Order: sequence, then C-alpha cells, then structure tokens
Amino acid sequence: MKQLVTLQINGEAQTSAVPPHWTLLEALRYGSGLTGSKQGCDKGDCGACTVLVDGQPQLACCSLAVTAQGKAVTTIEGVADARGPAAIQRAFDVCGALQCGFCQPGMILSASALLARDPDPSLEAIREALSGNLCRCTGYTRIYEAVALAARWLREPGDMRGEQANVMGPAAEGFSVVGAPLRKRDAIGKATGEVRFTDDLVLPRMLHGKFLRSPHAHARIVSIDTSAASALPGVFAVLVGSELTTSYGIIPWTPDETALAVGKVRYIGEAVAAVAAVDEDTAMKACRLITVTWDVLPPVLDPERALDADAPLVHEADPKGRALSSNLCKEVGLSFGDVDQALADAAVVIDDHWTYAGSTHAPIEPHCAIGSWDPDGRLTVWSSTQVGHYLHRELARVLGVAESAVRVIQPAVGGAFGGKSEPFDLEFAVAALSRKAGRPVKILYTREEVFYAHRGRHPMRFHFRIGADASGKITAVDNDILLDGGAYHSFGLVTAYYAGQLLSGPIDFGTYRFRSRRVYTNKPCNGPKRGHGSVQPRFPLETAVDEIAHRLGIDPIEMRRINALPERGGTTVNGQFVPSCGVRACLDAVEAASGWKERYASLPPGRGLGVATSMYISGTAYPIYPNDMPQSAVVLRGDRSGRITAFCGLNEIGQGSDSVIAWIVSEETGVPLSCIDVVSGDTDLCPVDLGAYSSRVTMMAGTAAKEAGERLGARMRDAVAAKLGVPPERMRRRTGFWFDGDDPERAVDHVTALRLAEAAAGMPLGEVGAFRTRKLGADYRGGTIGASPAYSATAHVVEVDVDRETGVVKIVGVWAAHDCGRAINPVTVRGQIEGSVYMGLSEALMEEMVHDGKGLLKATSLLDYRIMTSMDTPPIDAHIVESIDPVGPYGAKEAGEGPLHPAIPALANAIWHATGARMRTMPFTPERVLAAIRAVGTREQ
Amino acid sequence: MLRLPEFQVHQPATLEDAVRLHTTLPDARYLAGGTDLLPNLKHELDRPQHLIALGGVSGLVGVEEIDGGALRVGALTPLQDVADSAIVRARVPALAEAAGLVAGPQHRRMGTLGGNVMLDTRCLYYNQTFEWRTALGFCLKRDGDWCHVIDSPKRCVAAQSSDTVPVLVAVDAVVEFMTAEGPHALPVGELYQQDGRVDRMHNVPPGALLTAVRVPNLPDGLRSTYRKVRTRDAVDFPQLAIAITAALDPADGRTIRSLCVVIGAMLPKPKRFDLRAFVGRPLDDATIEAIAQEIHARTAPQTNLHGDPEWRRHMARVETTRGLRALRDA
Repeated sequence: MKQLVTLQINGEAQTSAVPPHWTLLEALRYGSGLTGSKQGCDKGDCGACTVLVDGQPQLACCSLAVTAQGKAVTTIEGVADARGPAAIQRAFDVCGALQCGFCQPGMILSASALLARDPDPSLEAIREALSGNLCRCTGYTRIYEAVALAARWLREPGDMRGEQANVMGPAAEGFSVVGAPLRKRDAIGKATGEVRFTDDLVLPRMLHGKFLRSPHAHARIVSIDTSAASALPGVFAVLVGSELTTSYGIIPWTPDETALAVGKVRYIGEAVAAVAAVDEDTAMKACRLITVTWDVLPPVLDPERALDADAPLVHEADPKGRALSSNLCKEVGLSFGDVDQALADAAVVIDDHWTYAGSTHAPIEPHCAIGSWDPDGRLTVWSSTQVGHYLHRELARVLGVAESAVRVIQPAVGGAFGGKSEPFDLEFAVAALSRKAGRPVKILYTREEVFYAHRGRHPMRFHFRIGADASGKITAVDNDILLDGGAYHSFGLVTAYYAGQLLSGPIDFGTYRFRSRRVYTNKPCNGPKRGHGSVQPRFPLETAVDEIAHRLGIDPIEMRRINALPERGGTTVNGQFVPSCGVRACLDAVEAASGWKERYASLPPGRGLGVATSMYISGTAYPIYPNDMPQSAVVLRGDRSGRITAFCGLNEIGQGSDSVIAWIVSEETGVPLSCIDVVSGDTDLCPVDLGAYSSRVTMMAGTAAKEAGERLGARMRDAVAAKLGVPPERMRRRTGFWFDGDDPERAVDHVTALRLAEAAAGMPLGEVGAFRTRKLGADYRGGTIGASPAYSATAHVVEVDVDRETGVVKIVGVWAAHDCGRAINPVTVRGQIEGSVYMGLSEALMEEMVHDGKGLLKATSLLDYRIMTSMDTPPIDAHIVESIDPVGPYGAKEAGEGPLHPAIPALANAIWHATGARMRTMPFTPERVLAAIRAVGTREQ
Repeated sequence: MLRLPEFQVHQPATLEDAVRLHTTLPDARYLAGGTDLLPNLKHELDRPQHLIALGGVSGLVGVEEIDGGALRVGALTPLQDVADSAIVRARVPALAEAAGLVAGPQHRRMGTLGGNVMLDTRCLYYNQTFEWRTALGFCLKRDGDWCHVIDSPKRCVAAQSSDTVPVLVAVDAVVEFMTAEGPHALPVGELYQQDGRVDRMHNVPPGALLTAVRVPNLPDGLRSTYRKVRTRDAVDFPQLAIAITAALDPADGRTIRSLCVVIGAMLPKPKRFDLRAFVGRPLDDATIEAIAQEIHARTAPQTNLHGDPEWRRHMARVETTRGLRALRDA
C-alpha cells in the first residue's frame, strides 16, 4: 500500500505516492526523476546518494521516503540556481575534480554543507567533511583543491577565475589547444547531475531483472525447476543457462564462459537463472522460488593445491570439448640470455618469495544494463561497459543474431578501471529476457554482485631471483610466477604473458627468464585491473632492486638511474622497442620535490622514504581478435552552422577520452571547443574503436582524430586560401580563425571557413582518420604480447610514518612523476596520475579479496572491502614529464595506468626505510607490518 | 539494488503512543536514524512487518544538565551533536570523542546516541546479504544453529560494536527506557548479555524504547579517553573500542583513586575490567605497564571481526598503555 508523501525538494513541494519500504533515494530517483543522486553501495557505505536534509548531509539510501515528510531535501539538481552552476560546481569543473562523475553529486553536497558552516575550511576540515564520500577515480587531491577554491570564490566573489572560459591557461608553444589546462566537455554536466548513467535511464514498459546465484563454489546442476517463479504474478520471463549455451570469452581462443551456468557452477555467486518482472522486489521473490538440485563437488581454492594431480577439476574440458587433466589454464616460459650464468657471476643475489594479494576495482557505479528489442527484431543494449565493440560481437554470437541486428550504447560510466572490460552475465540476460518478455529489461547489480563479477587484480605468488654486479647493474632476473585465475579464462593468456613480458623496463636487465602459470580455482574470475598483469611483478622487482642498492651502498634513486633504459630508442631484454623513456626526468622530479637528497639519510626512526619506477604500454600491438581493420577510427562531419561533430566508438569512462578527441579536432581545424560535439560509445553511429583498455585511447583514437582533423583542416585551409588569394602554405589558424600568416589582419572566422570548404567540395564536409599499429614486437612466440607503439614511464617517492609498536602505516607524502610523452591537457593528466597513485596505495595498504574455506568471499560490501577514504589520502603531488614521443599524437603516451605501478613497491621501500622490515606479502596491514618489524628485531638479536 | 523488505511505517507523535503501538504490533522495530537498522533490513537480518519511526516523537533530542552536574542525553540526539556539545566535551570528553569517531559525517548526522547504544551486534558471518548467508548455511545469531566463529552451537559471539558504549559503561551511565509498564532504568553495563543472538543480546523486555542516557555527576578530576582501533580513518566500525577513565589523587597528582578500562568491539557484551588492585598505586610507567599486561592477559578477541585476533589483542595492550599515559599527562 502506497503512502502519500510531500517533500520540499529543491524548494518545491512535491507530493507523490510511495511504497513505505522505499528509501528516500528511490523516491528521488524513480519517483521524482531526480537521478543526480546515485546508488553505489546499497547501504550507506559510499556516500554517492548524499543529499541535504534540512541542510545536513544525509544518506538517501538509509532513509525512508515516508519519514522525510515535510523536510527540505536538496539534491544535486537543486545546487545550481538561475544564474547557473554554483561556485562549488564550477570549482569542481575548473580543478579537474570530476572524472567519472558518479560520486561527485554526493561529494558536492557534502562540500556545500561544509562551506555553509565554514567559509574558510582547512585541508583537514575538507578531508573530514568528505570522508563519508568515497571516490575511486581522483585520488581526492583535485577535490581538496576544488573545495578550497570554491571557498575562496565565495569569500571573494570577484575572483572566479576561469569561470566562464573554456581555456584556463595557455597552450603549449606552437599550439592553440594542446597543452592548455582545459575544462572537460562533460564535467559541468556531471557536477550538476545532468549526465545520465545507465541506471538513470527509464524506458516505457521497462521490466527489472534479478539473478539467482550459486551458493556453492563447485557443484553440478542436476535440475532447475522454474515453474513456481514463472507462475508468480508480475513475472514476465525466466531464463536458465540451457537457453543460451553458446560459450564466449573476451579472448576468442578461450571462450569458456556462458551467460548463465550450464551444467555446472564454478564459484559462489555465479549466475544460474534470471527473472524479469514488474519490479526488483517481484523479480527477487521469483528467484527464490526457483529450486535447483545440486550435486555438490569439492572446491579447489588454493592455486598451488589446484596443480596437484588429485585436485578437483574446475573445467573438465576445454572450449573445444577436449578433456582436460589439470587446472593449469596457461603456462608461458621465456628466456633471454644466460640467466644462470649471470646469477652465478653476480656480486649480489636476492632470492626470495613474494605474494601479491588479489584486489578488485570497486568502481562506485555498479554494473547496469538495459536490453530492448524493436518490432523489427533489432536489439539495443545500453550498458556500463568499457568495451562496447567486443560486447557488440559477443552479444550477437551468444544470442545467435547477426551483428547488424545489435546496437550497443554506452551511457556515462561511473568508474571502470578494467572491471567493465568484458561482457558480463547481465548484458546477455537483459537481451535474452527482453526477447522473451517482449519488453525492455534493466538489471542493476547489487554491490555484492559487483564483487562476484570481479575480474580484478590476479593474486600472484613469485619465486623471484635477481642479481647485480658490483657497480649496481642488474645482470639477471628470474621469476617463477603463479597466478590465481579464478573460475574462468577472462584475459588469462594475456595476463600470464604480461606478468613476465611487461617487466623489462624502465629498469633494464642483462638477462631475463620467467615462467608464468595461471591456474583455475573455484573463485570469482580474475582479470585486468588498472595496470593489467604488470603491477604485481613490480612489487618483487622494485623492492629487490632497493635491497640490492642498499647492500651495495648505492642511493636507491641513483640505482634506478644506473639501470634505466635509454631516453630514446631503447630495446628491452625481451626485444620490445621503446621509442621514448623519460624515467630519468621522472626520478629527477621526485627526488627534488620530495627533498630526497636532504632528508633521506636523516629521517627519524619510524619515518621512511621509498622510491620505485615503472613503464607501461600505450595500447597493444594487435586487436583482441585478429583482423586487418583499424583499431580506432574517427569520422568528422563539418556543418555550415560552424559545428563539427566527431564520431568515434571509444568508451568514455571518466578518463576524458571524449574531451581528448574534441581538443585534437579543435587544434587541427581551428574550430572552437564550444562548436565541437563528440558522439562516442554507440555502435550504430560510430566507427569502431576497440574500447577503453590497455591505455590505448589517446594513442589510437587520438591519432585517428588528428588524422581526420588534419584532413578537414586542410580543406578549410585550402578554401580560405583560395578565397583570400594566398598560397595555402601561408595560411595559419588560431582558435576561431584562419588567417594569412604574412598579414594576420586578413582573417576568416571558422564558420566562414567551413562554408567555403563545403562550397569548394560541392558536398557536405566529411573526413575520416584511423589508427592501426605498424608491425611491432619481437620475433618469437609471444614476442608481440607486450609490444606497444609507445611506453610511458613513472617514478614515485612515498613517505610513511610507521608506528613501530602497532605496525600501523600512515602515508604522509607522495610525489609522483609521470612521463606521458606530452600532456594534451595537464589537468586531466594530473588527475590520472593522482587517481592511479591513490588506487595503488589503497590496494597496498588495505585491499584484499579473502575467501573462506568454502570459497565464500568474505568482504562483499564497500564497508567490509575497505578502500581509502579522504582521511587516509594525503594530497598527492603529481609532476608531468614530457618526453615528446615520436609515435604518439603530438608526442603523447598513456597516463591512466602506468602511474599506479610504483605506488606499491615505493610504499614497501618506505616501510623498510622507516623500520628495517622488508615486506614480501600484501596488503601491508598493521599485523603484517608488525610481524615483519618483530622478525627484524629477532634477526638483529 | 539491494531491496528493503516490505513493511508498514508508523509515525507516532508521543513516546506513549510509540510504546503502545509496539504492544499491538509485537514484531515491530523502532526506527531512529536508520543507519544501522535499514542496512540490516536490506540484509534481511530481521523481517518486521512494521516500523515505528521515532522522528516525530518529541522530547527525545538534546543534552541537558540535571541534578547539578549529571547529564541527560536524549536518545534521539544525533551523534554529531553529542560530539559537538560543549557540555559533553567539558564533562565527558571521551564520549564526545567516541561519538565523533563513529562512521562518517553523514552517519553521525543521521545516527543517534540511542541507536548507537542499541546497535545490533556485528559479525563477519552475520552482516551479509540473505544470499550470502544462504551460501554460508546461516548462523546462530539469525536463521541458523551454529556459530562459525567459535565453531559451536552454544553461544553467539557477535560483537557489540558501538563506539560510545564502552565510554558509557566506564562512566557508569544509566539507560532509561519506556515500556508498556512504565519507565525502566538500568546501568548501561547491564543492558548487554553474553549471548549475541537477536532475542538475547539486550536485557530489556521486547518493546522497551530507549529514551535517554544519563551520565552521573562524575567526580572532580575524573579523566576519560576513548581509543578506537580501525583500519581506515573514516566509515569503519571499531576493531577494538577502548574507553578508559581514571581519577588521580589531587594531593599528589599521581596516586590512582579510581580506574576503569572497558573494551568493546570484541564480544556481545563490552568487557569491563576489574582493576581495583591498582587503586592506591601511582600512575607511573611501571603501573601502566602492569595494567596493560593485565588487560592483555584477560582479552581474547575472536574472528568475528576483521583483523588478526592476536594483533587486536596486542592493540588492547598498546592502546591501554597510550590511553593511560595520555590521561596521566593530561
């Protein structure tokens, strides 16, 4: 029975009938259509649903709508006024505090309440006020700046710098856009709650779906009875695995998954059946009416045990139906040079075991998908995916329809980090349920389901040996790696290669050997998390290099200089060509910024500094499925109104890739940013881009945009030159104009330039650009895996304060320098660096996927799976190094994943510097750190 | 999204109506700030048909001074108000500290002192979704017959995880309830039972409604502190919650007149340590060490909460030591 409730929402009395068990969040989102308040964690752990109730920040997901009767509720939609966005919203935009934009409505409301009571908040007050709002993208630093800036604007209203301007600073020399600190094109829409994420979309007659998931880690499905569920009023469709038996996998050679379990389940939480009903409550009730008869099998949970001859088999057959005799999913072994001889000759050898804990992405937006079939049999799926193109292909395959009958649309995505880079059960389920029910179907994961979908950082165990000569030169690395893959293949073969292949820079080894084995276990599947496969082995490498430096009496930063790849044209020990490597400049930057030279030898006990470096790919050599078509493409449409629309199938997931396209097109055509639209993430409208993974987008889509922009710009140039009667090569452009370089007074605005070009062409203006990697990689089996057009480089210094009595580690300073080749926009690059640093430190300090003896994941919420809050995150000092890469657009390389890698070993090295304890196991929890400190004490006695 | 089960909501305007309503709706639950109850209902840790929302009940908010020095805090007073209250900060600083360390800013503005006192006990095997607990096979606290922590059917050891309760126990606070039979008061230390099962954890009759927390007039010179052990510095329940009070002889400023250590976030009942043996001794390093040793010897954290139990036990010693030193040096 519904109850009438009148709420004062954003100053307007709204009366609606709501069920008594609806939360305030549901009433706002689904009753009033105010979708700016977000659902992230289900139960008050993340703060994305924060609204102001009578001026106080409260959690709408933990309040009932009916008890808010008569109260004044302010949502993000009510923060702006008739004059436009509020100072706090503009400040978030200008400071680059908005990445995915999903947590920010709640964050902005918490910040508004702070500014209302404290016009000049200290950094500590800002961190405290935001500590109930988790952000997974930014590393909080831009947010701290934004709140302080808004406070200043409110105190001194005359000083709203950059408020109206798109351009907040000058471009790099020789450019009109590239290098300028620009606002992102979608940021203000995110700050005001207008941008729509998948769960914000509502279709007419839309049904809601839920899954029945396995309570067993390993069991055969004997039978499923769905009759009671189907009979429940309000249920429109029920789906079981046997209806969608075509297997799929993100890697075409290893399709070992099905949309819903077929015959057998392999982890607790695996989907077994799905129901579409009028609402989620009914769908959930129906799921519980489904009875499954199980034949429970013993699970295998430990990766070493999984390799025993008598271990239960997670998969009895491979995708081709051939019987398997082991849980070994992929084994890679490669060797470069005589490692054994080099180790025998080494002046110092470290030989030990390291353990890297599994962690998960924890984007604040849970996965969500909507499926809808039109009357002509065409399917549209809206999904929070970061790989729209691969999803498109797999949907067609699994559903048994032509690819031309499927359209995938990716609305705004609330954080991904690799966690949305494969097809998932919900995308197939919404499509299949919608086909059965004849109505659109939406499924929104619960936070627990996000943990089961997982595809997070692989737990890895290393037997790692490293040798150096007396001068500190690393002569040998030998790594035996065991990867816990979980229940399915995912990107497994790539991960197994990456764990070895991506380690060979920026520290250059004389000889190298690795064996990498990925095994199946009965746990949620591991996959690619930011820094896919290559974050883990940096932990043993960079901590062991640190140890060697100290044994040899070499400064740890100097040690890395001694071993760095050359700045230009280096080749790694495993044969990868590295066009540019700015690691030395990165080391210089963090050495200076951290005060390393002055402080390293003189810090008090318990205080420590640690350094580490890394290198990362800017895209991969090949697409996931072999083909000769471009990896990315951009289509431009010039319009006589003066606008350009850029179409590109890339997936904007908060990293700013739509904006990158717009900036490049503006640079090349002189058309102002306000006149450039970007259409992305829609497989019907856009040329294919392979997706937001492997840090490929600026390199590949950026190059495609540059090529298309150059072509359109040339048409404009030539047409204006003809009009002005000057040779085309004399033409110059600046934002909004083309002009004669010899006589700048002779200028034509961009609208006229587009019209002249259209007239000259005699047809509407259209241009295309594309990117495909040239042949890359070394000439051996596996030699192309890890090959990339360009490689970024990073160095971090982390400072810690370790409580030696408790083992508690506090991060007191972080300096991160990243060589991104060229910063097309320094604000967004800085945001990527800071967010990466945050994510690395958080997993190093507190994150771990822990399962009990039955395979039950112990932490399935954002309360129990702890990620760092603002209170745990000091401001991060990010430095940009520009090596101007010869391959990337304008010299640009990646910035979204590389800067994560050094955080973990730099933190471990800082802990050693503070305590003398070498951490070999992650995360560095107080109990582990304390045990390591005590072990040092015991050794010294 | 994780769903709330269906229920009816009642919004009485007076205390009497609220309690009367509960007698007619026996499976009802009282709803205050909602930050504990509503997540728990989403986890289906209870399935009440009725919620009695207390937001409209007058007279349950605020901090007042009574009996020339005692404090009475209304049960619906938001935790942030307790943390910010000048009177509380002056009289019982540890209570203000504890209230200010609960969860995150939003929780402290919604959550109430009464809710924090009546917090459901917590356990890694209990605060989970219905589906998760189905996979587990449920537990003794709710829907099952086995405690997975102590591997026994005898007792539920879910932890009383309030930040404020250890402080309230240490200062001998009294909790006032309204029941169908009239007002009822008891020392807060007697509210909690050794068994954390839903129907056994609180020593009050069903339907009793907490109305206020009374902190007695504390002796002059009583010092108090609260030490919270947690993984991150916001939105985290305690892994160990330690309240310490001590009064020193004003004549010499060092002889222990009274001493109390209470540890929560361990078992269903906060543990109050008998430290009378230390009264009369000087609060010097040696005594502090001996007290901390005593605490350590008599503390046995379980695997009900996250974190290595031995490390948590170690932290009981460390934080007791640090807390006592802080009180001595205050």
